[in-house]
Amino acid sequence: MYYLGVDLGSVSTDLALVDKNHNLVEKIYLKTRGNPIKAIQEGFKILKDKYDEREITAAGTTGSGRMIASAIMGADAVKNEITAHARAALEFDKEVRTIIEIGGQDSKIIIINKGIVTDFAMNTVCAAGTGSFLDRQAERLEIPIEEFGDYALRAGSTVRIAGRCAVFAESDMIHKQQLGYAKEEIIRGLCDALVRNYLNNVGKGKTILPKVLFQGGVAANKGMKAAFEKELGFEIFVPENYSMMGAIGAAIIAGDQVKKTGKTKFRGFKLAENNIFSRSFDCDGCPNRCEVVKIYENDNILGYFGDRCSRWTGKTNEILGLRSG
Amino acid sequence: MKVGIPKGLLYCKYHPFLVTFFGELGAEVIVSEDTNKNIFDAGIKYCVDDACLPVKIFHGHVNFLKDKCDLVVIPRIMQLWKNEYICPKFCGLPEMVLNNLNGLPPAITDPIYATSWKNLYSWAQKSGNLLGKNNRQIKVAFNKAIEAQKNHKTGIDDEGYEIKIALTGHPYNIYDKFLNMNLVKKINNLGMGIRTAEFTQEDILAREADNLYKRPFWTFVRENYGFALNSAKEKKVDGIIYVSSFNCGTDSVIIELIKNGLPDFPFLILKIDEHTGEAGINTRIEAFRDMLERRLFNESHISTLG
Ligand code: SF4
Ligand code: SF4
Repeated sequence: MYYLGVDLGSVSTDLALVDKNHNLVEKIYLKTRGNPIKAIQEGFKILKDKYDEREITAAGTTGSGRMIASAIMGADAVKNEITAHARAALEFDKEVRTIIEIGGQDSKIIIINKGIVTDFAMNTVCAAGTGSFLDRQAERLEIPIEEFGDYALRAGSTVRIAGRCAVFAESDMIHKQQLGYAKEEIIRGLCDALVRNYLNNVGKGKTILPKVLFQGGVAANKGMKAAFEKELGFEIFVPENYSMMGAIGAAIIAGDQVKKTGKTKFRGFKLAENNIFSRSFDCDGCPNRCEVVKIYENDNILGYFGDRCSRWTGKTNEILGLRSG
Repeated sequence: MKVGIPKGLLYCKYHPFLVTFFGELGAEVIVSEDTNKNIFDAGIKYCVDDACLPVKIFHGHVNFLKDKCDLVVIPRIMQLWKNEYICPKFCGLPEMVLNNLNGLPPAITDPIYATSWKNLYSWAQKSGNLLGKNNRQIKVAFNKAIEAQKNHKTGIDDEGYEIKIALTGHPYNIYDKFLNMNLVKKINNLGMGIRTAEFTQEDILAREADNLYKRPFWTFVRENYGFALNSAKEKKVDGIIYVSSFNCGTDSVIIELIKNGLPDFPFLILKIDEHTGEAGINTRIEAFRDMLERRLFNESHISTLG
């Protein structure tokens, strides 16, 4: 008996299976590459070879593509990233007070008190500090991203790099390189700058109390962890499955949900083989002329996305049998 | 004579007055459509980059009207209450619009001091004269317009929801559905009722604001701050959502004041500009709802959607 969680983001698609005690038994990480349908199908192909679909007794989705994911696979819970991350973090450690999450495309802070989220903030605007930005810099410096953190830790001293915005950070780094600073120092300087940027933007006005969990893909970077610890003045913790927390949270929430409904809406692994595709059309309902995306499975419509009113997405909710509240 | 009235900025509050006044003067009143993609895009295209989104959208509305009327009204609202001002962008609005858009018909741009009916009348008189009307005709139209404005009630005060939030921010950010991506409906669909500032009496708003170290210089500050504090303290709402424009000076002041006044009260700020993605807005509102739900009810009560 497993619960499946899918975190569909614009950069990566994560799938997690947890058992009924909420232990992670399977994790799959895929690049979304602008094609969420394909990413999910790929993930399901992998699962199909190892598990029987009847073993999946609950399924949940999260991430910016959570509605699309739920239309494709059938989900018992469709949850925003904040709630999903908080749920997984609390499962890992009940004492957590602050979650620092930096993923491929965005960053968040979640403040928790006595197991309840009391405040949160998200940055979806500025690229500085996200995983994609670090990937890019690693590539530019010709260092494998996995070693980025080690480089930062090896640095004897640090260089001050302007981290307010991704474009400035990059040009400042190039400048410092030309001045002859070592790669180690520059990378450490970059980590410091990104941490300052995070604390001043996402963490603005929030009191960061221990215990702090550092999650999301960027938590793999030891340099970032060290820079946070230096800035905050205490140890922070990276959970073992730091990059899967969204998917794990979605799986657990789905499990809770099925305990109430008694039956899962999960449609099984068969979609891995089905012909799932999207078509878009311009709605002529009003001058907005939204480009609406329709998702099909063979000849059936699974759902509609992308309208500004709920003329089309309302139908999706009917198809999915979801309601709010 | 066709008089064009742009459906932007404070139109949402003062349209009964404007529409009635020009209508009673015998003009054919043409109001721009609700903000839509064309109006929005034109606003972004023609307005200077660093303006706030509501001002940009206002440009789009004037652009929509420019070939459809003989005279366009660009309200230069200076004051709504004595000793207070509204955002400086309103005082310079006509200059911005006239410089950014080409091929406009003549415009009514006289300053509006709505601190008393008498002060407002001087604007009405000038505008009426432009339409070639005499004082008696203007007086009649003006009185009808005031009547229409007085009878007009706006505001939201939902009932029958388990969770209720105060929706704060400038009225155009709250009521322009295109600008805020259907925020009111989104909030309702997630099972939260809304209360807006209009249902709190002026004297209560003023009383809260009087507690500030300095009487606020801006009307928007008094209204939003007073409303937020009063709603929270009197437990009329479970949380506050503030819709704000990037680059808005008054918003940043109000937000800081509310945070200081209510340090532990659930408070969500939604910042909107032309680059804001709907997914991010949805995520924030949904997470806020989950947070309130967990605070108010027990653990097992968690929504399936959102
Ligand atoms: S989907 Fe709705 S908002 Fe978009 S064009 Fe159609 S009717 Fe208009
Ligand atoms: S108050 Fe803010 S949103 Fe309104 S016009 Fe001024 S700057 Fe723009």
